[in-house]
Amino acid sequence: MSGLRTRCTTLLAWLVADHFILVLTAVYFLVMWLIYPHMAGRRNLANLSSNMWPLMILVTGQMFVLLVGGIDLSQTSVMAVTSVIGSMIMTSRLDPAKFEHNPLWGVILSENGGLLAGHAMAVPAAVVLMLAVGAGIGLINGLATAKLRMPPFMVTLVTMSFFSGFAIYLTQSENIMHLPDSFIRIGKGSLGPVPYAMVLALLISLAAWIILNRLVLGRWLYAVGMNLKTAAVSGVPCAGVIVFAYVFSGFCAAAGAILYSARLEAGRPTLGQNLLLDIIGSAVIGGISLFGGKGKLRWAFYGVVFFVVLDNSLNTMPLNYYAVDIIKGAVILMAAVLDVVRNRLNQTGQISVGT
Amino acid sequence: MNMTAQKNRILLAALRNMPIILFVGLFLCFGVLAPDFFRYQSIENAVKQASYVGIVAVGMAFVLLTGGIDLSVGSNMYLSTVVAGLCIQRFALSPAAAFVICIGAGFTFAMTNAFIVTRLRVVPFIATLATLVAGRGLGRMLSQSRAISFPETITRIGSARLFDVVPYPIVLFALTLLAAWIMLHRTQWGRQIYAVGYNLESARKAGINTVRIRAIAYVVCGVFASFGGFISVAQLGNVNAGFGRGSEFDAIAAAVLGGISLFGGIGSIFPGVLLGAVMIQLVSTGLVSAKVDLYLHSMISALIIFAAVAIDSHRTILLKKMQQRHIRIE
Amino acid sequence: MPSDAIQFENVSKEFFGIRALSGITLSMPPAQIIGIVGENGAGKSTLMNILGGIVTPDTGSMTCQGQPHKPAGPADATRAGIAFIHQELNLFGNLSIVDNLFIDGFPKIDRLGLLDKRKANQSAHQALQTVGLHCPVHTLVENLTPCEQQLVEIARAVGRNARLIILDEPTSSLTQNERDRLFSLMNTLRNAGCTLVFISHNLDEVLRMSDRIVVLRDGCLVSTGSKTEYTVERMIIDMVGRQIKNLYPPKTSVPSETILLEVSGVTRPGIIEDISFALHKGEILGLFGLMGSGRTELARILFGLDPCTAGEIVAINRPLRRHKPAESIHSGLAFVTENRRDEGLLMEASIEFNIALAALRQTAGSRSSIWVDHKAIRDKSLRVARDLRLQAADHKRQSARNLSGGNQQKLVIAKWLLTNPQILILDEPTRGIDVGAKYEIYTIMNNLAAGGAGILCISSELEELTATCDRILVMSNGRIHGDFARSEFNEKNMLHAAFKGLRTAAEPGDR
Repeated sequence: MSGLRTRCTTLLAWLVADHFILVLTAVYFLVMWLIYPHMAGRRNLANLSSNMWPLMILVTGQMFVLLVGGIDLSQTSVMAVTSVIGSMIMTSRLDPAKFEHNPLWGVILSENGGLLAGHAMAVPAAVVLMLAVGAGIGLINGLATAKLRMPPFMVTLVTMSFFSGFAIYLTQSENIMHLPDSFIRIGKGSLGPVPYAMVLALLISLAAWIILNRLVLGRWLYAVGMNLKTAAVSGVPCAGVIVFAYVFSGFCAAAGAILYSARLEAGRPTLGQNLLLDIIGSAVIGGISLFGGKGKLRWAFYGVVFFVVLDNSLNTMPLNYYAVDIIKGAVILMAAVLDVVRNRLNQTGQISVGT
Repeated sequence: MNMTAQKNRILLAALRNMPIILFVGLFLCFGVLAPDFFRYQSIENAVKQASYVGIVAVGMAFVLLTGGIDLSVGSNMYLSTVVAGLCIQRFALSPAAAFVICIGAGFTFAMTNAFIVTRLRVVPFIATLATLVAGRGLGRMLSQSRAISFPETITRIGSARLFDVVPYPIVLFALTLLAAWIMLHRTQWGRQIYAVGYNLESARKAGINTVRIRAIAYVVCGVFASFGGFISVAQLGNVNAGFGRGSEFDAIAAAVLGGISLFGGIGSIFPGVLLGAVMIQLVSTGLVSAKVDLYLHSMISALIIFAAVAIDSHRTILLKKMQQRHIRIE
Repeated sequence: MPSDAIQFENVSKEFFGIRALSGITLSMPPAQIIGIVGENGAGKSTLMNILGGIVTPDTGSMTCQGQPHKPAGPADATRAGIAFIHQELNLFGNLSIVDNLFIDGFPKIDRLGLLDKRKANQSAHQALQTVGLHCPVHTLVENLTPCEQQLVEIARAVGRNARLIILDEPTSSLTQNERDRLFSLMNTLRNAGCTLVFISHNLDEVLRMSDRIVVLRDGCLVSTGSKTEYTVERMIIDMVGRQIKNLYPPKTSVPSETILLEVSGVTRPGIIEDISFALHKGEILGLFGLMGSGRTELARILFGLDPCTAGEIVAINRPLRRHKPAESIHSGLAFVTENRRDEGLLMEASIEFNIALAALRQTAGSRSSIWVDHKAIRDKSLRVARDLRLQAADHKRQSARNLSGGNQQKLVIAKWLLTNPQILILDEPTRGIDVGAKYEIYTIMNNLAAGGAGILCISSELEELTATCDRILVMSNGRIHGDFARSEFNEKNMLHAAFKGLRTAAEPGDR
């Protein structure tokens, strides 16, 4: 009886161990490689990498919100809105047939492109504006949750709906093409052998790592997520910390939108619509708890690698397009169940997971 | 009695009766803008169109009352009507059999949700977010993403009238409201749903089978969702790939506008959810008749939900504050 | 000869390797009031939780009226005729009285499963009559006073014909009038054949009400017998198990004239009224009050967790207006909250993380520092843990959850010591920890005061305050009703003051 129990505990301990997901991903990748040899081909690896970096940025932002015990479902619509707004600033040509009925036609849009079309500062201005809009939407989310005490998933569900509607309204459902080359290079170019996307993702990860591990703010983020009351008594400015997490998440979503828009060479009002499951799935399967206060940047990375490999392999398999959704849904559920198991083990004190 | 307590009490009373206040306000607003609005015909139309949202919202209310949420109702509506539609095409079923199959599919979908939430203990919004995506994927796989049209025998229900007076959707909505009210107020399960939503731990201590009660709420929600889906299809005549998308929004909005708290245990089906559903419908009818850009509709409904949730949160904070006062011996 | 209402046979229970109960063998005769006394952590609530089916025992068995009693959950215990009324009432404020009475078993109209409203209302009305609560059965429970809510709980037990009713600290939030009303109800129930288990810290009340007394200590049954064998003194000796003078360390600190914290006219309507006092350097100031007297609310306002509408708070010559906890900490305040688990600690975080939490900036050297100084934190946390004799294996890996109650409390104190506080507010610092750890906490308080800090110690245990404090304020009904210097300490007068506000408060009328 007790032998079985220890064996069960060992099994569970292994399941919740730090590197479990990474090992799982590696094993999965090897098996897939045996079945589909081109999985490890040069092209597919490049493909994997280019899918991974933008997602890593988004998950980093999501992680901050999860750490404070919230969730940000609006990241995808932040991407859509910022993609559209940025493109409207810098596009160099618009098709009148498509945009004549746009509410902004004649205001900032014309046949000659957007507000700053052709201007030397167009790209930097657009990028800054995109990031600012992302952070601004995050600010709305943060204030609504921290100050008005509204439930995070409701707030961000509403902002998701609002801003994806807004993005579609702004463009009347059209994609905005003809973006400047210097912008497109952000998504497709590389610094020597290192793609810009990777540089950006690593920079943001580094910033996140410093915040979480070296700054007082990082400790506050964890404390707020673990126990809001204790944090408040201990002098942590809880509302500010929560607002920061959402702002950071919005900022990261905008940064992701820059990469995706540049890669697609277009401002797209439906950008990111199918990414929500990937973002939350990666975070949760990596081990960032939905209950708040638990998570490491490394775990987010593992989760992203897992999800990108999974996505890639599902696309490789001769599967019905819609079956992919079913599998992704199931994976998220598995991850959430794993999260519940981890939490309960932690609470019964059988296994301690450090922070 | 001091001033602040008095003020809080008045504010709380206002917040408690918010559905009625909002409804009257909206009603008058529309009446002034468009006097035609007070005719029987337009009111009947609004209620008829609100019927399917209302039925889904009634189911949603059960889940919200336990303190949970079900984001998957839209996918449930889609999947169960697709299953019913395919069965009709394949086996030439009678409307009654199609109805039973539709509800059966909804029941199965709901049981999955209930199992994941109560047995696997996954947070409701994540569990139902996953079934939302998976359910729609399954539906589109089955239908090959094609629209499935329903035979005339079923669409007739959507436009027929009981005794040639009341449209059937309204009759069914009324019956749903009645059934739900009886379930919540006249059965033990219903009372226990309120208890679970008030405090899960207390409910467990009081000897309530909380797993079963929460499961019942999810099942009721799913069954009503498929029922609402069936009625909506009977009015529309076919199921396309986008059917039910965003319905979870309307249902949550109708329930919360109707005074059902997202935090559980507070609110009532009648008149709350009825008013909530009609309000949602009034707004969208109003937007159409005012020729507001179609793309703006989703943004406006998002704003309405935001306001409703903000009111709900404020009410909850106030209630907590007032209970804190009770700690003291007065 | 009727069989015993309840019989325990060698019942034991462990939590995380700590013995909560060891080998309890005890029988409770029917139709009696049985008083159970013991210190916090003596095993009273564990024993009752086992009886009520909330906790399952590791070993041993129970019989209930001759039948074996093995509840798998609270519902089983209810079926066996046992009703457990917790100190924190288990009612649903959003439901009516009648719903609360029958929430786990309504009378039903046959077959359909619909509720028999009329029958429910009738029996609810009857049950309310029995307990002497005269209000409509449809009243929402959240609109009742605490006393009325308690009567609803008892009515629930009566309504389902419970043969054994457990009352856990039923009097702690009641006025004297309400207590008398409850006591006469208890007598009525006992005379009707009910067995009542009465748990209370108020030994006089236990002696007055009970037919039999049971004394527990450290999870063991110390003594039991008819009430004629007991006096309050004997109960205390049995509970404590040693000479009382060893319970408290000798006082070493001497208060000076310098004022550290001055509070004048602090008011929050409906919560506290016109509170004024001063805390001196080196002084341990006691604040005595019953649960709900406003003492914790006062502490929260002083520390800036809740707002106040009037009055002034001056900490070390710095006025605090509309302050946040961060400013309080900067002004030298520290607040050890009443509830370690919910407000004091991050249970999942490591010891080091917890210790550093309130002093992240101080340890890094400046108030505006944004960087965490890991080395300073490690050194300081080790030092303060050693000073407080906090027993833990690994500061970096071990989580707060894995510490014993006493060590958790030391951890909370350690967290605050890192902020170099001059003014410490301790709210029930010894609740739920064992005698040895209590002694150590008192020693820490003594040493801090001797080192020049001022301590405001809130407690509902008068004895603890009289032994450790230089001065005691008595609070009731949101006001301070007494200020006693050490030479004037007199338990009777202080208790009198504690109930003063309650007696003058409005009598329960005909609402």
